[in-house]
Amino acid sequence: MYFQKHIIESITSFDIVYARMLKRGGNPHGPFDIALVEGTITESWQVDELKKIREQSKQLFAIGSCAIDGGIPAIKSTMPELEAEKKVYKDLSTIHSIRPHSVDAYIKVDGYIRGCPPGERDLHEALASVLTGKKPAFLQYSVCVECKLKGNICVLVAYNMPCMGPVTNAGCGALCPSMNRACYSCFGPMKQANGPALARKFRLMGLSREDIIRKFTEFGADTIEFRRVIETYED
Amino acid sequence: MKIKVDYIARVEGEGSVKFNIEGGKLKELKLNIWEPPRFFEGFLVGRKFDEVPDIVSRICGICPVSHMTTSIRAIEKAVGFIPSLEIKNLRKIMSLSQIVASHLVHLYMLVLPDYHRLDMLFSRENPPSPPFTKGGKGGLLEEIKRLIRLKEAVNNVTAIFGGRPLHPVAMVVGGFTKIPSRDEIGKVIKGLESIKGDALDTVKMVSKLHYPDFRNNTEYVSIISKDDYAVNEGTIASSSGIEVEEDDYLSWFQEEEVPYSNAKRTVMKGRGSIMVGALSRLNIKFGMLHPEAKKAAEMIGFKILGKNPFLNNIAQAVEIVHGIWECIELLDAFSIGNYFFKVNVREGSGSALTEAPRGMLYHQYELNKKGIIERANIVTPTAHNFMSLEESLKKLVNENIDKPKNELSLLCEMLVRAYDPCFSCSVH
Repeated sequence: MYFQKHIIESITSFDIVYARMLKRGGNPHGPFDIALVEGTITESWQVDELKKIREQSKQLFAIGSCAIDGGIPAIKSTMPELEAEKKVYKDLSTIHSIRPHSVDAYIKVDGYIRGCPPGERDLHEALASVLTGKKPAFLQYSVCVECKLKGNICVLVAYNMPCMGPVTNAGCGALCPSMNRACYSCFGPMKQANGPALARKFRLMGLSREDIIRKFTEFGADTIEFRRVIETYED
Repeated sequence: MKIKVDYIARVEGEGSVKFNIEGGKLKELKLNIWEPPRFFEGFLVGRKFDEVPDIVSRICGICPVSHMTTSIRAIEKAVGFIPSLEIKNLRKIMSLSQIVASHLVHLYMLVLPDYHRLDMLFSRENPPSPPFTKGGKGGLLEEIKRLIRLKEAVNNVTAIFGGRPLHPVAMVVGGFTKIPSRDEIGKVIKGLESIKGDALDTVKMVSKLHYPDFRNNTEYVSIISKDDYAVNEGTIASSSGIEVEEDDYLSWFQEEEVPYSNAKRTVMKGRGSIMVGALSRLNIKFGMLHPEAKKAAEMIGFKILGKNPFLNNIAQAVEIVHGIWECIELLDAFSIGNYFFKVNVREGSGSALTEAPRGMLYHQYELNKKGIIERANIVTPTAHNFMSLEESLKKLVNENIDKPKNELSLLCEMLVRAYDPCFSCSVH
């Protein structure tokens, strides 16, 4: 099911107050019944903007792995900022980046539409819940559950692939294991996932400390769940 | 008179155009790509080679396949892996389907509203079908339905081989981790067959829009190949006749930092600005287009090397036809076989140039003997177009300097949209 099949109904059910990629003009100051915030926070002015949006929004959802967990840009947190930055720019005097953080590091969030790209089911759930006034029911279990429901053979147990499925939030439909490869956690960590237990399994499978750290820093380098692993295996 | 478009609407990413007119003359114009940079080239260092395609895919939500195919080919070159013709053809299907999908979003969602004097394609105040509210113009229901049919059919092609249309997972260094069944392939071919008429209608629709009369002075650049309408591999060619091997890219092109912009811009050394993208591709390799695409271009009287960047929109529509027909032929010839090979790591460096939807894309990597990235360099189509776009904006303002403020700023926005920049890619 593609969300775009419902695009006419979805867009015409709401007044689009502000969405620059879709619409010229608009009102960036609100108020908003619902705000969808995407992207990692990487410059300080975005923090001010984010707080203003929060204050003007009845409901605010973080959408996509960048906004929720820091996503890929948060890999930068694994090294001193300057080391990453000076590899890209010779003149850093006009660059004002801060350490990348998720949206909920700064404001309260009413729900997470997880994934990279975001799961269409959860997006639909969030928008429909606003219209019907019910609490959105987001998926709160791991990719493993989706594999079992699909009847997939476990790529971790059967093929010894270092699969991040056990600690990754569902929503993709167990995509990678269904395509014969290990999950790389693009939906980010499931709440309260036991990262260290999976890391110990990876160690027994012969992964190096560096390999394990890379697994847990591709998506979610900045999360509580994955930081526990990183701290254990760091030199 | 100062004119500021602080946040250009209906383009991918965040950028502004600011200019100053004094005494009827343009004093200064700046294109500022202020979207915060993400430092991919910084944090890729230390990552393992097989993670790179999944990571660079996230540079862009519209052209992830391009960043993946480009990085995969650069890394395979670095380790000395030569993919089979079958794998190359599959990657071509992935790239073509994504080019079509990207052009569709650009033409219908980002460009079309300008020519119907709308802020966005449709909305609650301006629904696509009756009953129209007071003041709503509406009426684009046919176009919107066509867009949805086209987009679904091409997304299905990317998804069937990649697992999903955006950030596909099955395309990796060494090939594809899973191949769909004949039945599934048959279904996507049928889907593509069903949108042929819609593709031609798109060409007709785009050709009927009234584009501003304008010419830019720049060199059109694209990759070419003697075998096909080059997408994933070729040598660099330009409208003034240069031919450069992909490995010599850095000795011809120079990326420089711009004090007022987070994006860098690329010039051809000693020559100046270049333009890349659909219009450049058509200008340089029109002869290699699929016969149906050539026919479509001739049907609307499209002439190459017309030098009007607004016609990039028409070139994209012609490429939509090319992409669909070529995908059908490649899918018809598809055979089940081995599409995945284990890649042995070794120390080395490699670079690759491809045609992303928005134009020439360059990736370069250095790997150590463990397969860890030691250096990464990425030059996006928008960096290639930056200087030409800024020059074109200056010329456009100078030629329309007497127009009222609102009209002039809309005209500038329309030109920016015609170049189809991806500001997000440019601040990778």
